[in-house]
Amino acid sequence: MRRYIGKRLLISIGTLFVVILLLFVLLQYMPGSPFNDEKLTKDQRVQLYEKYGLDQPIVVQFGKYVFNMLKGDFGVSYTISKNTPISQLLQSRVPISLRIGGQAVLLGSLIGLILGIIAAIWHGTIWDTLATVISVIGVSVPSYVFALALAYLFGYELRWLPLLYTNDLPFESSILPSIALCMFTIASIARFTRSEMLEVLGSDYILLAESKGVYGPKLIFRHVLRNALIPIVTVLAPLIVGLMTGSLVVEKIFSIPGIGSLLVTAIQSNDYNVVIVLSFIYSAMYIGIMLVVDILYGVIDPRIRLSKEGPHD
Amino acid sequence: MIDEGTLATIEFLPDDFKLKGADTTKLDMNFASQRFWKDAYLRFRKNKSAVFSLITILLLILLAVFGPMISPYTFQEQNIKETNMAPRIQGLENLGIFNGNETLKTSTGAKLKNAYVINKATGEKSDHYYWFGSDALGRDIWTRTWTGTRVSLYIAFIAVLIDMLIGMSYGLVSGYYGGKIDSVLQRFAEIINSIPTLVIVTLLMLILKPGLMTITLALMLTGWIGMSRIARAQMLKLKEQEFVLASHTLGASNIRVIFSEILPNIISQLITNTMFSIPSAIFTEAFLSFVGLGIPEPMCSLGSLISYAFKSFTTHPFQIVPPVIVLALLMLCFNMLADGLRDAFDPKMKEM
Repeated sequence: MRRYIGKRLLISIGTLFVVILLLFVLLQYMPGSPFNDEKLTKDQRVQLYEKYGLDQPIVVQFGKYVFNMLKGDFGVSYTISKNTPISQLLQSRVPISLRIGGQAVLLGSLIGLILGIIAAIWHGTIWDTLATVISVIGVSVPSYVFALALAYLFGYELRWLPLLYTNDLPFESSILPSIALCMFTIASIARFTRSEMLEVLGSDYILLAESKGVYGPKLIFRHVLRNALIPIVTVLAPLIVGLMTGSLVVEKIFSIPGIGSLLVTAIQSNDYNVVIVLSFIYSAMYIGIMLVVDILYGVIDPRIRLSKEGPHD
Repeated sequence: MIDEGTLATIEFLPDDFKLKGADTTKLDMNFASQRFWKDAYLRFRKNKSAVFSLITILLLILLAVFGPMISPYTFQEQNIKETNMAPRIQGLENLGIFNGNETLKTSTGAKLKNAYVINKATGEKSDHYYWFGSDALGRDIWTRTWTGTRVSLYIAFIAVLIDMLIGMSYGLVSGYYGGKIDSVLQRFAEIINSIPTLVIVTLLMLILKPGLMTITLALMLTGWIGMSRIARAQMLKLKEQEFVLASHTLGASNIRVIFSEILPNIISQLITNTMFSIPSAIFTEAFLSFVGLGIPEPMCSLGSLISYAFKSFTTHPFQIVPPVIVLALLMLCFNMLADGLRDAFDPKMKEM
């Protein structure tokens, strides 16, 4: 077990290192230096370079860069809000994005599970078809189409909920975005739960349990669902990716001041520093979640950690 | 020794040997062996949703090719006098639908308006027809929708190409050679896979200008990983089998074994997987264009059309409907087609 975790940890750290290296190299080739002001004399420039450590060898600079990134010292924004530390920009935005993402995951997993269980238990009936149709639509239709439909119906026509995000009503404002975001989660979890449940239902140990007289909810919840849920951990990683891209769009539609909309603004206004920091944060989040998924899967299912490959291979 | 004379005299007649109980036992002759592809085709044909999807996709392709041609407008032609026109279609307008009427909601109440009327006293209408309406710059939405569909279809084509060329070869080679080559290739794929696509695309945007080429490049960098995994897993399953050993013994080269002995046996899974990667590629493009990182103006894609119409979607909701419906249809149909193909190639999967 320790060996397995160690290996996964090493790969994650290696990947994060590669990401930082990539970002650092990109930063070197970005057009324009912060000190290309005509008025600066050569001496002043040397002084400035010394102050910011730009005269040191590139390896030392990189070392400092890695250290600062990991410490959470991300530098300043250039164009979005001049000379504001990026960590300060993020402070108010990260919780909003996390809240909407978290709500979407919770809501989506719950509804997806229920749909998947219904479809598997009443396999082949109208309920199964209905759940399948819902999950196909959820996978196929982009989240911003849902977001637009919800915004039009509940935000504009019926006026039940705010059309745009307002800071005074954080919960009411987050309902529509969460629902729009969770459609993809619902669909993929429902699909996965259904197929896993069907596989477990057809297995020999369920036949044994049934012949021993276990039936009804006890059979479903204690014997079937428990085993069916093991591989569901693996869906987490792609779901997080879906949430990340989804958040960009949904934050734009409901004009939510989160990190997704910050990234879009930063790219459009060429604020390289902010883009690179956000890329780092997104990657770190994703790598972290992948690591947790791998370890969790190894803990739950001994077959994975004992075989040479991880669940993602 | 049997001498040749006696051997020649033994004669066999057709009814010398008879199966015991041949009159009562019925031999089942219905299961003549059928070729794999024909079998798959027959199963596919029975799947109504898959056939429906295929027809819809073909229809959308036809419309994307000929749609812009049959319209009198071009996708970038602006007509400042005819902005935000509601849809109007010849023939249908006499039935009371698609006649260019638009209900505008204002703070004082709803108001019916027809932008095509040029003479208010007589109610005379201009002879222009915008089948899907026109946008805020007076561009024809019909033409723009189908021009945008072309972009999505191009992306679908690119996704297939990437899967087939990069992903497949990568996975097959990695799985076939194994050992050190496999280790190195797999670690590389793992690292690329650990960087979210969103981040890779974002970084590309910093270096290159947003546009079709950048999106193609981004798909190339990330699109092949899923496919390479499937190809590698299938290769690992097959490479120890006897027929591979046999062709090795007969002196077949590695390339020949990989591509003409093993590949035909796993191609159906690979095709299915390719089909599944199409909707996600289309989605990536539409998503990038929607947030403004995709195709720059005046070119358009479904995503950028939706993004553009979104700005006025509470006042002129008709503008956003065509691109949204076409995009949703494309995604839905490619997904259902992939589902149908999977069931057709591998009927065991259907029960799952």
